[in-house]
Amino acid sequence: MQQRTFLQSFVSKPEFGPLVLLVLELMVFWSFNSDFLSLPNISNTLSFTVELGLIALAMTLLMTAGEFDLSVGSVFGFSAVLMWTLFNSEMMPLGVAFLVAIAASLLIGFVNGWFVTKLNIPSFLVTLGMLLVVRGTALYVTDGFPQRTWNAEGNLFANVLAGSYFIGSFRMYMSVIWFALAAVAAHYVLTKTKAGNWIQASGGNPNAARARGVNVSRTKICLFMASSAMASLAGIISSIRTSAANPNSGTGYELEVIAMVVIGGTVLTGGRGTIIGTVLGIFILRVMRNGIVMIGVPGLAYNIFIGAIILGMMALHSWLERRHNSGV
Amino acid sequence: MAEDLIRMEKINKFYGRIHALRDVNLTVRTHEVVGLLGDNGAGKSTLIKVLSGAVPLTSGNILIKGRKVELKSTADAIANGIETIFQDSALVPQLSIARNLFLGREPIKGGSFLNRLDQDAMNASARELLKRVGITKDIPPETPIAALSGGERQAVAIARAMQFDSELIILDEPTNNLGVAETQGVLRFVREARDTGHSCIFIAHNIHHVFQVVDRIIVMRGGRVVADDIDPKHTTIEQVERIITGEELLHAITA
Ligand SMILES: Nc1ncnc2c1ncn2[C@@H]1O[C@H](COP(=O)(O)OP(=O)(O)OP(=O)(O)O)[C@@H](O)[C@H]1O
Ligand SMILES: [Mg+2]
Repeated sequence: MQQRTFLQSFVSKPEFGPLVLLVLELMVFWSFNSDFLSLPNISNTLSFTVELGLIALAMTLLMTAGEFDLSVGSVFGFSAVLMWTLFNSEMMPLGVAFLVAIAASLLIGFVNGWFVTKLNIPSFLVTLGMLLVVRGTALYVTDGFPQRTWNAEGNLFANVLAGSYFIGSFRMYMSVIWFALAAVAAHYVLTKTKAGNWIQASGGNPNAARARGVNVSRTKICLFMASSAMASLAGIISSIRTSAANPNSGTGYELEVIAMVVIGGTVLTGGRGTIIGTVLGIFILRVMRNGIVMIGVPGLAYNIFIGAIILGMMALHSWLERRHNSGV
Repeated sequence: MAEDLIRMEKINKFYGRIHALRDVNLTVRTHEVVGLLGDNGAGKSTLIKVLSGAVPLTSGNILIKGRKVELKSTADAIANGIETIFQDSALVPQLSIARNLFLGREPIKGGSFLNRLDQDAMNASARELLKRVGITKDIPPETPIAALSGGERQAVAIARAMQFDSELIILDEPTNNLGVAETQGVLRFVREARDTGHSCIFIAHNIHHVFQVVDRIIVMRGGRVVADDIDPKHTTIEQVERIITGEELLHAITA
């Protein structure tokens, strides 16, 4: 084991496959269309990227602890609707409405976590139920109609959260900075802290962790709350950027987010997760979405590519695992 | 005579309708190594699971140094100075040796807000501990448990019980799956633990191992303690075997 070369240990890292795939993807799209790596296109891709990316970061931690959350897409839609409904009815200023929406999402996450840890119901069922409840609520209170959003231009709060400014000709979105900070924080928590150790132990062997005094339930509940809060934040940022709060928005995001996480090398069964891998996974999917449109493949074919990438990456991870176990 | 560290009084345990422990009394003194013997299903693991907070008792009392305690979880037991190495050793396969050794009691540096693990300190003590349990092969402390042999895992579990100053260390079949050097490491550890003032409960099917280290032997059969004061210095292995199987009346020896 000690004699392995640097290259060998790099290849055996879970982040290696996704990194190669991302580089390949960029090269292929760029060779088809040189506009692909133009500044406006990069900026545009980045702004979309981070909204799902924020959720994927929290989902990585949750999946490392052995659970996942299918309700994030519905919370994404619901939070923006809630915030704008409260604001439009002139009940409160936007900042307060924002806090109410975040608090509501924390409550949703808490309920998810409570059902999973205290009632021992699999997270698949709990969060599927929550998905329907939250999406149903968003549709019911709005009668299915999008909420009026006021023009966010010039509002300090909206600018800090989701504004953009130019560096030269490059349009930089604030949300990209929030995403970068969140990614660094999540990586730090997972790899360097006591909390990260507890997260990995809770997913790897919950009974062993409990036997050592690790509070597995509290760890998981906190992660469910984090995942919900991130979904809420992402939904609100998206509604400000697009000036639209649609009760249906975020439909299907949960699966795309989980795809980003597993493509990056985090295992669905828990115990092992990587934020670096997730960041690569996020870019792999967003670059794919953006790239196939730019080279003229119909956008409707997108899912074919995503599905193929997931299957391919899973095969690669399993092959590396077997190779590792046989000592090559 | 040394003071009583642990007293278990009239312990009963039902798993549904299975009566696994029947009015069990057990005492462990300070500085004492007790061997707990009995055939498969005798109730040994159940008894020590009750004592380590892993399963709730149905009725009975547990006293530590004369004070009655309730052990609702393994964390409770650890807080009361009872460390257990379970038969199905409880390690997290994905985490490294060092992180398993300190799981739940991680050393922190840089304040509680940053919550940062002191990885260097963990690695340094991990190396030290592995040497003490007889792993002389140079295994880096960053190695994940999944990459270790069964015996090495057992040794890590033992190393974990060693590092914290627990008054009672319980080992449930710690020498299973172990090679010769590792078994010697475990037995050496048990002696060392007694010499440094700890008490141990040692469960093993290999009576030779038990005879090498214990001060006193307790035998269980069918959920009861059938002998609790066998002195290994004045008893033969064959006699103990007959008590375990129920062929020999105990008063002949315990008298
Ligand atoms: N979780 C459980 N549920 C139901 N019955 C159990 C459970 N654990 C143990 N038992 C029963 O309790 C009795 C005592 O089991 P225990 O594990 O304490 O035996 P043991 O002396 O440790 O045996 P071994 O030497 O095989 O480890 C057995 O009859 C067993 O079937
Ligand atoms: Mg047993």
